[in-house]
Amino acid sequence: MPKILVVDDEEHIRLLYSEELKEVGYEVITAESGYRLLETIEEEKPDLVVLDIKMVDYNGLDLLQDIRNRYYDLPVILSTAYDTFKEDMKSIAADFYVVKSFDLTELKKKIAMALETRLPT
Amino acid sequence: MAFYEENPHKIDSADIVAAIPSFSEAEGIGYVVEQVDRGLREHFGHLKSVIINCDNHSSDGTKEAFFAAPGQVPRMYLSTPPGVRGKGNNLRNLFEKVRELRAEAVVVIEADVKNVQPLWVKNLAEPILKGVGYVCPLYVRHKYEATMTSSIIYPLLRCLYGRRVRQPNVGDFGFKGKMAEVFLDSPVWTEAVQNFGVDIWMTNIALSSRMPVCQSFMGGPKVHRVKDPYAHLNVLFQQVLSTIFDLMMVYADFWKQVKWSKPTALFGTDVHEVDTPILVEVNAARLHERFLEGYDEHSATWPRIFDQTVVPKLQEIHGMGLQHFSFPTQTWAKILFDAATAYHKMNASERGTLLDSLLPLYLGKVLSFVKKTERMSLQQAEEYIENECTIFEENKPYLVKVWE
Repeated sequence: MPKILVVDDEEHIRLLYSEELKEVGYEVITAESGYRLLETIEEEKPDLVVLDIKMVDYNGLDLLQDIRNRYYDLPVILSTAYDTFKEDMKSIAADFYVVKSFDLTELKKKIAMALETRLPT
Repeated sequence: MAFYEENPHKIDSADIVAAIPSFSEAEGIGYVVEQVDRGLREHFGHLKSVIINCDNHSSDGTKEAFFAAPGQVPRMYLSTPPGVRGKGNNLRNLFEKVRELRAEAVVVIEADVKNVQPLWVKNLAEPILKGVGYVCPLYVRHKYEATMTSSIIYPLLRCLYGRRVRQPNVGDFGFKGKMAEVFLDSPVWTEAVQNFGVDIWMTNIALSSRMPVCQSFMGGPKVHRVKDPYAHLNVLFQQVLSTIFDLMMVYADFWKQVKWSKPTALFGTDVHEVDTPILVEVNAARLHERFLEGYDEHSATWPRIFDQTVVPKLQEIHGMGLQHFSFPTQTWAKILFDAATAYHKMNASERGTLLDSLLPLYLGKVLSFVKKTERMSLQQAEEYIENECTIFEENKPYLVKVWE
């Protein structure tokens, strides 16, 4: 069962993502901020990270840089309420992005794509 | 291959090699050397560096200008024999020298760049010293700059090798010294690779080498001293495409396993001031004319190359006027997939005709892109290209099927 780490400072988003993703068969763990995110990834070894861009104390795009520099191939999906982040060059290091919504169809589609991406090792 | 070498400082090892390939660049090489020298000293002063000019036996004083430029980093000059031209041949000399010097990192910057900065050396070399195998720069580009990259090279390489490298054919790059051995061992060393094909050849090999590849943001556009992008279009188109197709045959077992694509790590995001891109004007009417002329000249060839659904679609596109011109991306992906497959299966002597027949279709695709994106911002046009790449990836099973 693929393990997904949801990083978002809004509790209702963490709950929504968690419930819906568990329903379709994923194991879900959550983090409410970017604090010790790399350590959490190291300990929990998620198969994919869903990362909020705009958190109170953390910039998701900076966290994405940190993740990508240490975990070259860990899939990261950016989750955001606004799409202005795309003007920031750093966003290209993400596998995908989704605009936050109560309908998680797009997020589930992107998660499935990211998890089935295959490169010879 | 090096026919001639001048090594006044008797350099026999180096941590970083900064290479400047050239042919008749006496006018501009001094500036590039000066900036590269500064970059090496400011950012890697603690390491042993050398600047190498890999030249095509220029007779305009390139070598003299290279050695005369101000700076303190030791220099070396390599040249191909008289009459042997091509950036690929210059880089082959470089690979051999890098192996001999046992360099850790190599940076290549073209000799005709007007706005190179010391920061470029840092952004190309630093990721290598941190463990990356190959670095492609990411320059600020206008939406209509490098349309061959946007419409062919980027989507094709991305769907084949599974890694998103936006400017894989840009001419400057960084690579790990050990990669020189990989380049020297490549079974593909064609006339195309010896010339314009070498940049895409290197990136292609790097993508299939399983070494980590990253992109490095350079903070501005790349400005060439004098460059007419259409001056060598036919030759450039043939050489770049034939190189990609030749390498598809070599790496078929690799790319057939790839599904979807992944991003790369990005360096250089701490650049504080970002320059604006240089405006590129496009003559849509001329593109349309060239598409129509090429259609008349080559349409008899296409039924032998393309799937039966493609030719009627091309007839439909041909019938559209300039105002409503549109070239669907799915058709374009299928054209490139069918062309690569036909190239793979046909005799080498027939391949030139196939590549010639693709040029007007490429110009039609560019025209369609221009019309679709004329009111878009740079960011919106980039998103449009990303969507096109997804269409290539979605249609990849078709390529795998017809290839076999």
